[in-house]
Amino acid sequence: MLLLPQIIYAENANDIIEKVVDNLNGKTAIMEISMVVKTSRAERTMKMKSYSIGQEKSFIKILYPKKDEGITFLKLDNSMWQYVPRIEKTIKIPASMMLQSWMGSDFSNDDLVKESSLSDDYDHALIAETEDDYNLELHPKADAAVVWGKILMSVSKQYYLPVTVSYFDEDGVLIRELLYTDVKAYGKRFYPSRWVMTPKTADKKGHETRIIVSDVIFDMEVDENYFTKRALKRFSR
Amino acid sequence: MLIQLAIRNVLAYRKHSVITFLLGAVSTALLVFSSAWNDGSHQQMIKNAVEIYSGYIQITGAEFRKSPSFEHLLFNVEKLQKDVEAVAGVDLFSPRFDSFVLYSVGEKAVGGMLTGIDPEKERRISRLYSSLKEGRYLSKTDTNQLYIGNELARRLKLQVGDELAFVGSGADYSFAADKLIVKGIFQTGLFEFDATSAFLAKPYFDMIMAAENLATHGIVLPHDTQQADIVAKNIGRKIGAEFQSASWMETMAPLVKSMKLDSVFGYITLGIIFIVIFFVIMIYTLLAVFARIREIGIMRAVGTTPRQILGILLLESSILGFISVVAGGLIGAVFAYYFNVHPMVFSGMEEQFKQYGLAVSAMPTAFEPFTILRDMLVMFVLLLLSTLYPIIKVNRYQPIEAMHHV
Repeated sequence: MLLLPQIIYAENANDIIEKVVDNLNGKTAIMEISMVVKTSRAERTMKMKSYSIGQEKSFIKILYPKKDEGITFLKLDNSMWQYVPRIEKTIKIPASMMLQSWMGSDFSNDDLVKESSLSDDYDHALIAETEDDYNLELHPKADAAVVWGKILMSVSKQYYLPVTVSYFDEDGVLIRELLYTDVKAYGKRFYPSRWVMTPKTADKKGHETRIIVSDVIFDMEVDENYFTKRALKRFSR
Repeated sequence: MLIQLAIRNVLAYRKHSVITFLLGAVSTALLVFSSAWNDGSHQQMIKNAVEIYSGYIQITGAEFRKSPSFEHLLFNVEKLQKDVEAVAGVDLFSPRFDSFVLYSVGEKAVGGMLTGIDPEKERRISRLYSSLKEGRYLSKTDTNQLYIGNELARRLKLQVGDELAFVGSGADYSFAADKLIVKGIFQTGLFEFDATSAFLAKPYFDMIMAAENLATHGIVLPHDTQQADIVAKNIGRKIGAEFQSASWMETMAPLVKSMKLDSVFGYITLGIIFIVIFFVIMIYTLLAVFARIREIGIMRAVGTTPRQILGILLLESSILGFISVVAGGLIGAVFAYYFNVHPMVFSGMEEQFKQYGLAVSAMPTAFEPFTILRDMLVMFVLLLLSTLYPIIKVNRYQPIEAMHHV
């Protein structure tokens, strides 16, 4: 009997995460986003377009700046490839580079590849509930190959979308924080149009990466051709 | 008078003198040569480690060595260069920009360092130029020409003239990628270094990596490498707390420490040998002096004071000690000098040497007259001390007692 409330919580937490993952990915999504990378010295903007099916497949093409135009990324399940037109080369990102920054931002390659694994790789627990939010604590499953020791997530009750996500390392030190704001309606779905990632470690002081979503089309048929290695070069132009 | 007697005695007890002399001379030669070998091999190891790449003095941003990120770069290299080169004792300053990139050939990708260097200055501050194995060294006007470590080239299956690509991030964290052509392949012999490093001329590097007027660190060549520590401090005072100026003694602290530890163990081993030699000489002198106890008794009986006898015996051992130390010192010095000019080569032991970060297996000894004199003095004192106890002991006998001693 004593265990019962926890089981109910656990189920609730799982349901919440499932909904969140679904809301963030849709069945399919075509997005146009700008990414502003701010460091203590400078700020630069990138623009890109992404195509995705669920959580497993996605294709990203850089549109701006000119220097990086045509760089494409393909993510299939847990692997990632990159095509760079300047060197006319497709590169599979090796496992050792997964934690490296993605395009110099405060997101890592791993974030793009593993964003979906929140539901599969972690045990979820509902630790608190306020009027507007659920507060969840995520711990990696014993056999999951993930980089975080703990994730705290607050989820808006209204939209079932994340509001803040805090990432901790295995020693329980806060490494970075992701804020989702400015929820807007895109078709039938709601989606946060502004994401801000702030690293909390001393060596990244003054850094911040903002993602501004300018357009999203959800649940429309996406051409399967995007999700092949050949597409990297073909759609680069 | 006393000294004549002492010399006469030394000559008269020839067997004792020769053996004491041989013991003293061989031990002195051993000590002198061991010191020369110890110092020489340590100096060689450090010199190698310092001169191959890391340099006598390194200048970085104040926080860079603690957290080597693009946040703690040298931001105005041109100004820094002027400031540093104005410091007395500085020969030249050469900036470098290190970045971690992914090299790719065909399907193969390997992580490594890509560093922008000033090819001309680099010739003088490191052994990159002299480590050329195939192809050619960089020049200042080179564009996408790469100078790559032998092991790294081997892992990527590259020959001179082959093309490869790299991806990495520029100093502004932006995405950087380019095609490169192998211009030259180098081999310093430091395995780790040869397996992870490649170089571009800095002007071109700066363009593709957005690193103009930036550097991760700079290397300073002092006029006198012995003065590196002092010059580093002077530079530090001049350029301020925004930067860190560290001599090789800091940047190579772990190596320096391990060398010191090695020296300590070397001296402990020598110490044990010398304790044995000390007692051998002491016992031998004891026997020799007691063989002369009747003579000493008679001298006392005819009126020689104990003080005079002490003087004669001390003079004897001083003369013997001095001659053997000088002879041993000379022998040791000759060996130290010979192996300084013609270093010992340990072929077939390259693997073990690599663990110490050594590129070559040739080990010169150090030839330092001051150290040799120091060792000779130590041996002289030691020889004198070892005869002191027998001499004092024999002097305690009463004349009658001594004359009847068998």
